[in-house]
Amino acid sequence: MSTGIGARVKRKEDKRFITGKGKYTDDIRMENQAYAAFVRSPHAHAKVTGIDKSAALAMDGVVDVLDGHQLTGDGIGNLICGWMIHSRDGSPMNMGAWSALATEKARYVGDAVAVVIAETQAIARQAAELVMVDYDELPAVAFADKALDAGAPEIHDNAPGNLIYDWVIGEEEATDAALASSAHVVDIDLTNNRLSPNPMEPRAAVATFDEAEDHYTLYTTSQNPHVARLVLSAFYQVAPEHKLRVIAPDVGGGFGSKIYIYPEEITCLWASMKTGRSVKWTADRSEAFMTDAHGRDHISRVRLGFDVNNKVTAMRVDTIANLGAYMSLFSSVTPTYLHATLYSGQYAIPNIFGNVKAVYTNTVPVDAYRGAGRPEACYMIERAMEVAARELDVDPAELRRQNFINEFPYQTPVILQYDAGDFGGNLDKAMAAADVAGFAARKAEAASRGKLRGLGYSCYIEACGIAPSAAVGSLGSGVGLWESAEVRVNPVGTIEVLTGSHSHGQGHETTFCQIVSDRFGVPIENVSIVHGDTDKVQFGMGTYGSRSGAVGMSAIVKAMDKIEAKVKKIAAHQLEAAEDDIVIEGGEVKVAGTDKKLAWHEIGLAAYTAHNLPPDMEPGLKEGAFYDPSNFTFPAGTYIAEVEVDPQTGVTDIIQFTAADDFGTIINPMIVEGQVHGGVAQGIGQALLEQVVYDDDGQLITGSYMDYAMPRADDVPFYTIEHNTTVAPSNPLGIKGCGEAGAIGAPPAVINAITDAIGTDALSMPATPQKVWSALQGAATQQAAE
Amino acid sequence: MTEVTMQVNGKSVTRDVPDTTLLSDFLREELRLTGTHVGCDTSQCGACVVHMDGKAVKSCTALAVAHSGASVTTIEGIASGGQLHPMQEAFNEHHGLQCGFCTTGMIMTGIDMVNRYQAEGKALTEQAIRKELEGNICRCTGYHNIVKAIEDAAGRMSGMAQAAE
Amino acid sequence: MDMTGEYRIGAPRAEVWAALNDPEVLKACIPGCEELEKTSETTFEAKVVQKIGPVKAKFSGAVELVNIEAPASYTIQGEGNGGVAGFAKGAADVALADNGDATTTLSYQVHATVGGKLARLGSRLIDSTAKKLAGKFFDNFHAHLSPDAEVETEDQPQEQPA
Repeated sequence: MSTGIGARVKRKEDKRFITGKGKYTDDIRMENQAYAAFVRSPHAHAKVTGIDKSAALAMDGVVDVLDGHQLTGDGIGNLICGWMIHSRDGSPMNMGAWSALATEKARYVGDAVAVVIAETQAIARQAAELVMVDYDELPAVAFADKALDAGAPEIHDNAPGNLIYDWVIGEEEATDAALASSAHVVDIDLTNNRLSPNPMEPRAAVATFDEAEDHYTLYTTSQNPHVARLVLSAFYQVAPEHKLRVIAPDVGGGFGSKIYIYPEEITCLWASMKTGRSVKWTADRSEAFMTDAHGRDHISRVRLGFDVNNKVTAMRVDTIANLGAYMSLFSSVTPTYLHATLYSGQYAIPNIFGNVKAVYTNTVPVDAYRGAGRPEACYMIERAMEVAARELDVDPAELRRQNFINEFPYQTPVILQYDAGDFGGNLDKAMAAADVAGFAARKAEAASRGKLRGLGYSCYIEACGIAPSAAVGSLGSGVGLWESAEVRVNPVGTIEVLTGSHSHGQGHETTFCQIVSDRFGVPIENVSIVHGDTDKVQFGMGTYGSRSGAVGMSAIVKAMDKIEAKVKKIAAHQLEAAEDDIVIEGGEVKVAGTDKKLAWHEIGLAAYTAHNLPPDMEPGLKEGAFYDPSNFTFPAGTYIAEVEVDPQTGVTDIIQFTAADDFGTIINPMIVEGQVHGGVAQGIGQALLEQVVYDDDGQLITGSYMDYAMPRADDVPFYTIEHNTTVAPSNPLGIKGCGEAGAIGAPPAVINAITDAIGTDALSMPATPQKVWSALQGAATQQAAE
Repeated sequence: MTEVTMQVNGKSVTRDVPDTTLLSDFLREELRLTGTHVGCDTSQCGACVVHMDGKAVKSCTALAVAHSGASVTTIEGIASGGQLHPMQEAFNEHHGLQCGFCTTGMIMTGIDMVNRYQAEGKALTEQAIRKELEGNICRCTGYHNIVKAIEDAAGRMSGMAQAAE
Repeated sequence: MDMTGEYRIGAPRAEVWAALNDPEVLKACIPGCEELEKTSETTFEAKVVQKIGPVKAKFSGAVELVNIEAPASYTIQGEGNGGVAGFAKGAADVALADNGDATTTLSYQVHATVGGKLARLGSRLIDSTAKKLAGKFFDNFHAHLSPDAEVETEDQPQEQPA
């Protein structure tokens, strides 16, 4: 069976997971290990006026109790946001100070003010209850639309009125003029609900300080261990990079929430130095809800203009984005460059303008969560198109098709240049697979059972890869966004690939091996992937933004190019042939058109014995590469949801969910489909179930799985997955990326389907039975009144 | 501290543990069987499912001392003689796992589910599998391939049961 | 969380008022109250054990009487700290109307909030728990003042949407 590009290879990493032998951070136990428990503010906003540690320190088994004054006193720096955004007046964003342990003020429920280090986790947690913190409570603000009110409590001194930035993109005057002269304007208010990413493995850290070597080791649940080391070193001043090793072993999902470096990791590192002990911390789920960066939380007004022929003329978006109490690592870019650059969707829109005001509130920091800004953009344009079709009384699929971009490259008015796509082809595939033609009959049949059936479209596009470095740098990124790889061919011919990408469920240990096996014809079991350890892998920017294929694998390809060139030189020398005549095929290195050849492992051996290499050639067969792509990639597709609503209860059943995606080249369809399944489920979760709830005082009241509704097996259907491929021109494999598509495309498809079923657009996410039922009653009342 | 003796994966183990020790901690921390995971604190997620005296239980909700004398099987104990359990094979075959964290609980729940349905002679339909998975949360797979894997494993296990008869 | 209610108590207004200001009576009537000490004419220190959903905690806190219009009305307000379980705070406006037949109508209006773990894990149970506790308090209070009488409520506590 083929194990190359395009093969459905079973995952190599599965064996350790299905036998319980995976090694996650919480499974690690160091010699001399102590445990950390954090003392957290129960108030959303309060001055910290005193900390009495005496009772906790007196408890048996307590090693130490540490606070923020000690932490800052030791020179540990503040947490920062790594992407500079400027307001429309040219001023830089207002970033408030964020200490890993709050010193003067707690700014959200869960803000850590002290940490207890103890012999066992149970003792640490009990002792944390004995730390008496005096709080002087302050008024709090939890909601984006209240944060800018005159007289709203101010959260950071350097952010007057809680405004972080007031950012714009596109041409305001031209857009407003085009809207004013449009034949029809759709004008809708949308809320993108606040979500908690909820990887099933809670965050954890085990930090060890080696006093003799003045060296730290951190095991942690990270999507990007090198970025963690860079930030811990350059900004938080924990230790210089060569004195800090960060290892992200098996990581149980991330979805964005494990990109960031949180107060707990910093504190564990510092505490290991303070106490001379290895310090371990593992979040419980409630702590995860209250400290893992949340996602989304936008309030928007969207205006979409059409001419008399139903061609889109202009789009204007005004958004308030809630960033929470502190600016998390990539929080600033999520509602700006990762978001508003996708307003155009799949459509030719001549005029676009967007304004995003980012605000502080007394809530958990908000940052990128699967899709990161793009689900918010997709929700706007795809809800607006659906509403437009209803208002203009035209078919929603045809209205979209009529406005599709058909020629590439296409320069949008909002920075991005789409390089390839086939939007009409995606729509056709999805409509055929979803049997749209038979929908009317299914709707009638459902009606005969008293059920309301609806069909909803979503034609999503996203920008993935999150690169090139020069481009992101010009937009404010503090880091480069390339990827690195090293390919080591051993003397016996087996191959190790060291990659800066990190796998936390994506199956890199299989797909990355496939491209190597494909290229050199070596059996896939002779290839292994090394990742997640800053001492092993030279560098890396990690895994997020669906970038491991387009950027991470491209770096491997670039390193393989170098390997191939050297292999050919060795073979040409040994076989006394011209380099250009050497071909690598089926695990052999041959002189084309002859029977002269060397086995792959003979080349490896030759490189390391170095007995007979070309003059001046270095021994060994190991090459590294950094890869920086020439553009973002643009995965796109059409999703169609078909739902049935019970008008008596408001319960929505998703009967069928069809996805037709264009991901460019697919290395392993099985894994790609798995990514779509998971993304769609999270999108369905956002549309139907999930909502982080704060009360007026800033109390988090969805702090467990009893109150935060996660999608379960019974909430989702089997999904129908189709592929339509146009190759990405910006990277050697032609990959676009598939990790986030489902979460981006699914929510508008589901809401468009429900609103189709119930006959009103007055419905917000999550569309709980209560909301759907109320919307139905509202629509009925309105109808009666008319 | 109380002495707890259990049969775990066929071996007798005895430990002195505090009365408040959860079975999940007993397995993970005392026995270092770290395949049993803890994903929540409210018995919702099912990452901690093990078999106790032949039935699936959430080990994060059981006190070790309350179950002294019990026979416990964890994910580490279901493959025999180097041969994976059919449920493990099916999860690999159908790509029923991604990050692997919920997987061990899913497999233990899946085995229990199939055993119960087969003992009662009931058909394990897709709908039944989805209902039975109420207490197990997965954030990666969207459940599609988990349901497929359990459907397939049910067939394999039925073959296994017939072969044994 | 907001809640209102009304009770008809089989005792004259002066007697009801005295009981409402008597720490011993309050201690006996407040569900879960372990200690209630008068620290001044209008302030008390209290220790109360409560269980809301999965969270059980001992709250210690200060209770204060304000807006006193003897013997017609006062506001009783307090804040309890339950340690790591979080905190609860609230105020109740209590009014006594003399019915002229040696009975008194007590009406109250409560506004209360909870924070920390209580809010995070128990919020969906707060309203029903508060309603239950209020009912229990007034049952106890009524029983204390008119031990022989059946509890006679004109209006059970009503929850109002927060």
